[in-house]
Amino acid sequence: MTTRIFARGLTRQFAGGAGVREIDLDVEAGEIHALVGLNGAGKSTLMRLLLDMLRPDAGTVHIDGCVPAQAPWSRVGHLVENPLAYGELDARTNLILAARLHGVAHQQASDMVDGILGELGVARFANIRARRLSMGNRQRIGLAAALQHCPDVIVVDEPTNALDPAGVILFREAILRRAQAGAGVLVSSHHLDEVARVANRISVINGGRLIGTLDPHGADLERAFFTLVHQDDERLAVR
Amino acid sequence: MRLLRAALAVEGRKTAAARVTIATTVILAVGVVSIATGMTLAARSGNADVLAKLGPAASIGGWEGLIAVVLQITAAGGVLAFGVVLSWMIGREFDDGTVTGLFALPVRRDTIALAKLLIYLLWTVGVALVLVLVVALVGLVLRLDAPAPGVGILLLRLLALTILSALIAMPAGWAATLGRGVLPGIATTVGIIAVAQVMVVAGTGAWFPFTTPALWALSPGSVTPYQLALVAVVPAGFGLLTMRAWANLQLDR
Repeated sequence: MTTRIFARGLTRQFAGGAGVREIDLDVEAGEIHALVGLNGAGKSTLMRLLLDMLRPDAGTVHIDGCVPAQAPWSRVGHLVENPLAYGELDARTNLILAARLHGVAHQQASDMVDGILGELGVARFANIRARRLSMGNRQRIGLAAALQHCPDVIVVDEPTNALDPAGVILFREAILRRAQAGAGVLVSSHHLDEVARVANRISVINGGRLIGTLDPHGADLERAFFTLVHQDDERLAVR
Repeated sequence: MRLLRAALAVEGRKTAAARVTIATTVILAVGVVSIATGMTLAARSGNADVLAKLGPAASIGGWEGLIAVVLQITAAGGVLAFGVVLSWMIGREFDDGTVTGLFALPVRRDTIALAKLLIYLLWTVGVALVLVLVVALVGLVLRLDAPAPGVGILLLRLLALTILSALIAMPAGWAATLGRGVLPGIATTVGIIAVAQVMVVAGTGAWFPFTTPALWALSPGSVTPYQLALVAVVPAGFGLLTMRAWANLQLDR
């Protein structure tokens, strides 16, 4: 099995003690790996480290077997924090430009954009400037930019934030299709029930460390999550 | 090269659609010429206040007088306008949060920075051409005296001054990168203008590259070719610094 994302001993500390420590994480081809944690637990910092937005103090990252400097970034799609949607451009143009930045030739970009506009239900907004779109629809544009080139590695941070129920279902189906086609997906979320519907594996992050896993098919995911987090908090308090 | 072409296409499309660049083009071309025309007409009528502001340009009159006034206004306002636009082109990625989308791409970040700078320079050449064209049209509309052979050279000097003003505003792009936003770039532009004024008063003359374009445009005889060539240090140095800052960029704030 191909390991799409491989991280070992990943550490990055900020002033004041925030950051992540000694993270080991794998995302296999065909797998949806969910990352859950409370606000400030370190989910976004970990994703930034995996995507070379931050350099680690220690540890290594491999994307499809390559170090960041040689990683096949054209085969990666991501959405971390803000969508890549420029307000002065309409949705279609934003997506064409995102495709170009992923190395897609101009001739192919148009067909690719038509496909994702239909898949994520944003075709009716195609000619509207991004600044006029609601936050949810801008998020859809950002997700479309991350998924349209059918990447092998997908990293999305809180992807369903601001999405309406229809958008959540369309996104869920879109990443399931890509995982079935062999992509490795890392997704962070606050919504445990949403994560349980798509994830093959759920890792819990707390205080900048991975503290355990949850069974996506477990009976009471919320209780299991808080038990893990409270046990970890108590362990830290004793130290 | 293919990825640079892609980055140029992206930055070109963004710049062409942006209100900031469109508004600045209009303000510079139409605004500068409107002020210059008003001042020329007022000077023609003998308005003492305007004559005092225009200085030696007031006594020239005709095409030369009009272009001298435009040169004077462009030398002061051009750097500010270009610095604001370059600050926006780079700083908006941080202010809008779109910078996260410019990571984890096959197009390297220093290539994106280079594309931004090249599109900026292309836009400034366009602005300079528009400004020259509008000045020529205004001269014809005002029925100024038949242009002397020297008028063409004056218009070329206006073209060069506009482009040189854009080149010396390039530290704004570096500041917008280091400061992660539009405002640090604009503050740096204001700083460039203020320091240039101080250096002129202090008498460093044309050896200070940030004052050279204005001194050369207003009084070409006071600037040597070496001093003029020294201006190239600013875009080359700050262009490389901006690209390096983008290559080493981390989202750690």
